[in-house]
Amino acid sequence: MSTLIKGVNIHKRYVMSKDNYVDALQGASVEIQQGEMVAVMGPSGSGKSTLLHILGCLDSLNSGEVWLDGRRVDVLTGRDLTRLRRNEVGFIFQTFNLVPSLTALENVALAAHYAGKGKRASDEDAKEALAQVGLSDRHKHRPNELSGGQQQRVAIARALVNKPKVIFGDEPTGNLDSASSEEIVARMHRINRDTGTTFVLVTHDAGVAQTCDRVVHMLDGRVS
Amino acid sequence: MQILRNVFRRKLRVFLTIFGITIGVLALVVMGSMAEKINLLVAGGTRYYSDKVTVSAAGMSSMFSSSLLSVGKRDEIKAVPGVAEVSAQIGTLLDPDGGASFGMPPMLMGGDMRGEDLESFKISYAQGRKLTPQDTGSVVVGADLVKRLSAKVGGSVTIRGEQYKVVGIADKTLTAPDSSVWMTLPDAQKIFMQDVPEMVRNQIDQSAVATSFVVYPTAGTDPETLAADINAAVSGVKATGPSAFQKEIANTTQIFNLILYGIAIISLVVGGLSVINTMTISVSERTREIGVRKAIGASDGQIVRQFLAEASMIGLIGGVSGLAIGWIAVTLVNKALESTNINLFLVTPRLAIGSVVFAVVLGLVSGLYPSLHAARMQPVAALRYE
Ligand SMILES: Nc1ncnc2c1ncn2[C@@H]1O[C@H](COP(=O)(O)OP(=O)(O)O)[C@@H](O)[C@H]1O
Ligand SMILES: [Mg+2]
Repeated sequence: MSTLIKGVNIHKRYVMSKDNYVDALQGASVEIQQGEMVAVMGPSGSGKSTLLHILGCLDSLNSGEVWLDGRRVDVLTGRDLTRLRRNEVGFIFQTFNLVPSLTALENVALAAHYAGKGKRASDEDAKEALAQVGLSDRHKHRPNELSGGQQQRVAIARALVNKPKVIFGDEPTGNLDSASSEEIVARMHRINRDTGTTFVLVTHDAGVAQTCDRVVHMLDGRVS
Repeated sequence: MQILRNVFRRKLRVFLTIFGITIGVLALVVMGSMAEKINLLVAGGTRYYSDKVTVSAAGMSSMFSSSLLSVGKRDEIKAVPGVAEVSAQIGTLLDPDGGASFGMPPMLMGGDMRGEDLESFKISYAQGRKLTPQDTGSVVVGADLVKRLSAKVGGSVTIRGEQYKVVGIADKTLTAPDSSVWMTLPDAQKIFMQDVPEMVRNQIDQSAVATSFVVYPTAGTDPETLAADINAAVSGVKATGPSAFQKEIANTTQIFNLILYGIAIISLVVGGLSVINTMTISVSERTREIGVRKAIGASDGQIVRQFLAEASMIGLIGGVSGLAIGWIAVTLVNKALESTNINLFLVTPRLAIGSVVFAVVLGLVSGLYPSLHAARMQPVAALRYE
């Protein structure tokens, strides 16, 4: 197994004003293998979301290093960062975060479109991704016409559509009932098995964590 | 389609914004069509006067006087070197008690038709034929007067209580000839004399009356120079070249244009401010969405383009509806005023296209700041925004 993601001694400080700041990460280090399904657990405010955002190149860090697939990525800016977000990582959020004015198919195709695919190719790939999450019959539905579990499946399809190496989920089942939650987790396991996509999932649900290959615990901005 | 759906997400606010642009474009179309009408009149005049000299009685401040000249002066003028032909003309109001009105008042024109083959301002005929010097008792009617005089070729029209046979109806020129009736010089002289005070009337010879001469220069003669030569050689007349028309008419209409367009542009700028407002609110409402879009790989440019497309769509819809309403309004007003022969407005293609393009550009410019602001947001900052 090769290392896909490596975070080394990451520090992150949120500065609200001159002497009002929060050290959200205080030397967090983590290593995730290719094809792994990792759960991240820890008390609220321990820095799980912050770590996920930094590993997923959505946020900057104050010091430390982030490596993705053998390449240092925390130093990237502008176009390179955008390219990385398009092609190498996918994100799933607790609150689904679909674009409300777009249909399920359009939401998924949007990510493909941003990655530079044409309309036809985007739609093809979006249909395939929606099929992978079992939503082939919901192409034309808007987010507000879908259940929470279905919305999250659309979000997974969207994260999946550009075939990223890793998908980060920040409490992806946090807003779902247990039946939907189980279904979502099962889908992610299937995708992980079929495509080898790595998953890093922040969760409060011990049941969810138990299904993963490994659990990473966080406390006070560090991995313990 | 996605652009339209996003634009109409907040219906009332967007409707009001579009309405603001609509009003601005409406003002632009109405004011602009008034200016266009005047511009075409002036352009026609500029073209007509460009290659000739106009001679009127001396001492008149305006080249458009209808003070008296004697036809006898024609030989004197014709003797000036550089003159190819001289045509005696009578120009008077078709309707002497018509009162003051906007635009061009209908005119009655009589001429001896000399030098017609030298005339570069050609008029074509929708029906019938042109007038000849032998057509005493007949007229040709300009396009805008057809309805008002109930003119038909072969039929007759009543002018100052007398019947005249219609031999031709001119094509629309979009300039002064549209509101003119042409007749032979003797017929015009007769009508003109009716307007002259009785005391004066007895002292002048009807057949020698003219209000102006049109002087055609020979090939290669500069009309401006020729006008000066005529002034030097012939007493009691005032000759003016093409520049007089520019000075008297064209320049004043330019100021009028500026005022008209100024009003329209101001109302459009107000519309533009409301686009800025709407787009700014729309951006802040959709901060999370922007964060999501960036998180799944949208570049700054793609975010900018999305919001600019929405802003220009607002401009486009406002522009097209403003043009449509303006066009309808202007057409209705022109219709209502048709019988009075006041034709105030003209929606030209360049005005129609220009006002819609302007509205779109306004939307784009107004949307630029909010769009750039949206694009520069950090994805995570935008995602955490509630
Ligand atoms: N944008 C922010 N500005 C200021 N403080 C923040 C911001 N984001 C997170 N924090 C703080 O950083 C700490 C870690 O937050 P987070 O990573 O969201 O924790 P978790 O996801 O484990 O609950 C918390 O104390 C939180 O209040
Ligand atoms: Mg969190």
